Amino acid sequence: MLVAGIDVGAATAKTVILEDGKITGCAIKPVGHDIKLVTKEISKEALYRAGLSISMESLDYIVSTGYARESIEFADKTVSEIICHAKGACFMIPSTRFLIDMGGQDSKAIEIDQEGNIINFIMNDKCAAGTGRFLEVMAHILQVESMDDMGPLALQSKEPCPISSTCTIFAETEVVVLRAGGKGRNDLLAGVHKSVASRVAAMAKNLTCKPDTVFTGGVARNTGVKKYLEEEFEREFLVPEEPQMIGALGAALIAQAQLLK
Amino acid sequence: MSSYYDKLLTLCGFEYEEIKMERPRIEASFERLGLGPEDMDTADTWVRQNHDVSLEGVRKLLGAWLKELIDLVLARDERKKIVYYGFPAILGPGLILSASSEDVFVSAPDMVLDHTMGQIFNKLAPILEAGEANGLPPGHALCSLWQAKVGGIAKGMIPVPDFALASSYYCDMGSKADDLVTAKYGVPIAYIDGVMDSKWGEYPEYLPERVHYLGAQINQALEKAEEVLKIKIAPDAWEKSRKSSQPFRDNLARLVEVMKADPVPVSVVELELLEALSSSSTGRGIREGIKAMDILIHELEKRVEAGIGVTEKGAPRVMVRLGHTSDPRVTRLIESTGLAVPLTFILGSFGGVKVNPRGNYTTPGEIIADYEMTGGYYHGTEAQVHFYEKAAELMKLDGFISQYLYNCRPVATISHIQKRYLEEKTGLPVLSLEIDNFDSRAYSADSLRTKVETFAELLKAKKK
Repeated sequence: MLVAGIDVGAATAKTVILEDGKITGCAIKPVGHDIKLVTKEISKEALYRAGLSISMESLDYIVSTGYARESIEFADKTVSEIICHAKGACFMIPSTRFLIDMGGQDSKAIEIDQEGNIINFIMNDKCAAGTGRFLEVMAHILQVESMDDMGPLALQSKEPCPISSTCTIFAETEVVVLRAGGKGRNDLLAGVHKSVASRVAAMAKNLTCKPDTVFTGGVARNTGVKKYLEEEFEREFLVPEEPQMIGALGAALIAQAQLLK
Repeated sequence: MSSYYDKLLTLCGFEYEEIKMERPRIEASFERLGLGPEDMDTADTWVRQNHDVSLEGVRKLLGAWLKELIDLVLARDERKKIVYYGFPAILGPGLILSASSEDVFVSAPDMVLDHTMGQIFNKLAPILEAGEANGLPPGHALCSLWQAKVGGIAKGMIPVPDFALASSYYCDMGSKADDLVTAKYGVPIAYIDGVMDSKWGEYPEYLPERVHYLGAQINQALEKAEEVLKIKIAPDAWEKSRKSSQPFRDNLARLVEVMKADPVPVSVVELELLEALSSSSTGRGIREGIKAMDILIHELEKRVEAGIGVTEKGAPRVMVRLGHTSDPRVTRLIESTGLAVPLTFILGSFGGVKVNPRGNYTTPGEIIADYEMTGGYYHGTEAQVHFYEKAAELMKLDGFISQYLYNCRPVATISHIQKRYLEEKTGLPVLSLEIDNFDSRAYSADSLRTKVETFAELLKAKKK
């Protein structure tokens, strides 16, 4: 049984291939301006890694998710990313009861019951301030070359500089002014990370947080955001392997479930 | 001899004789609205895509809105004394003024534009942009309902009124928009102010002082209207106006009964046309609406007998706060996820969810105020929750979609408190959905899809 999940978000496109329930291939690329092209590319790469020399359309079942899910013509079904993320997280960490996912342009919090069903959820997709996009903007302003360096640099700060603006655009100006005023880069980075964490926490605290708490999405790779999120909630957040792939994994699991029906 | 608009108007329930009789009015109003032959083609497609035109009652409802639009556009030409009020309205004063003289035309022009230029012609955006350019700019979280009113006046599509009943009772932004119109065009305003929030735990009781205050505000507004419009409000005007619109309210109550069926026989898109008409028109729209509803309810009763529905039998049933006033695709999205929507907040007001008025008041203002206190919106947040709770029982609901306009102070502020309280009281899931109920430019159906789809799956899983 060969199935795939494709998650085309605002920032990146991901795919996961499952063969008889096992992950055999995956791929991720920035979305760019051509969704069809990037979908083709990640499909090709994932199939290659899975050791398959067939086309994506030949797989038994494909589920697409993410903002652009309706544009994946060869998908057999589309499912919302909230459902897929819950599914994927529970597969990787079966004890997941509270999930925070922070992607390129949205963030979400999901309460999950013991059977892996969603009890409640909340999502912010209107404001970039609690998303990866905010961090990208700040990385550019503060001249951090690699996004992978953001967290470690922030964690070096002894005195995080508070960022008061709630809007990414205004925060950008604020950071520039603070930097010009002599504030240290790492302190500003720490302030930026705390700001992201507090924005998302404020939204997520509308739900009931129960252990185990899990953090997924591209931003989950950022050790700085993880640390400040844990401070906000006063508990540890588990991060599964390849946290960015969780949505695509969830979609693939749903594809598998469709076949097993 | 036919004309470029005949096909559309026929689709929207106009009889041939009506079109023939009203040709000069239709043409004059369409010209003022900038509607040409190509707009008729767009509208034809748009209406067929978004409305259940297989139902004659729905077609007649669309026609009722168009007739209200024609009357609105030509009110000045036809030498009417024009009164505008805003949504959500305390409807009583408008109805009283309308009943007082045939020369008085009373309407909620923003809602009329939304439902016609939006829902029928898909041409609301230029009007909103005109509102933005004339004192209500974008990016300031200003309500698009008022942008529609200001924009419609600025574009010369709808007349400058002679008098404004400013509903600062529920919505302070509406009265500010009326201030804007006054500043530019010198329109006299009567403000209807009130204290909206009762103490938590007070419902269903309410202080008599609130009735006296709101009643006095309404009475004052009516006195000012008499002075400005040079009319005399007869002592029985309130009774007369209640009687003339009573069939509409009775039909809404009948509709609530019909909507108890599973599967639900009609889309909430069409319910929205009805409930909005009830609070936007005091004249021909209401009269035509009554006829349309008689037809529609009969058609729906037949559907119920035949087991015909717009969603599957057994689909999770949710109540929504409001349907979208100008873009039916947003409302249709809810049903496209497999949810049945048998009730909205406004419709529920007519279906036995409200409590009965308490007092024994004699002035029109106090009688109206007393009635408003029972309703939920005007009582306070807690009352709204009780309203939803009762609706859950009445309509056998599985959940709620509580849309809150991001830019609406009274609705947005309470959204999360309301969700939490409602979930505790009913044990049912609530989706608190940020939306713009009047303008889909920033909150399109696609942008809401993820949340609504997820909520639908959550309800379906619970129902299994």
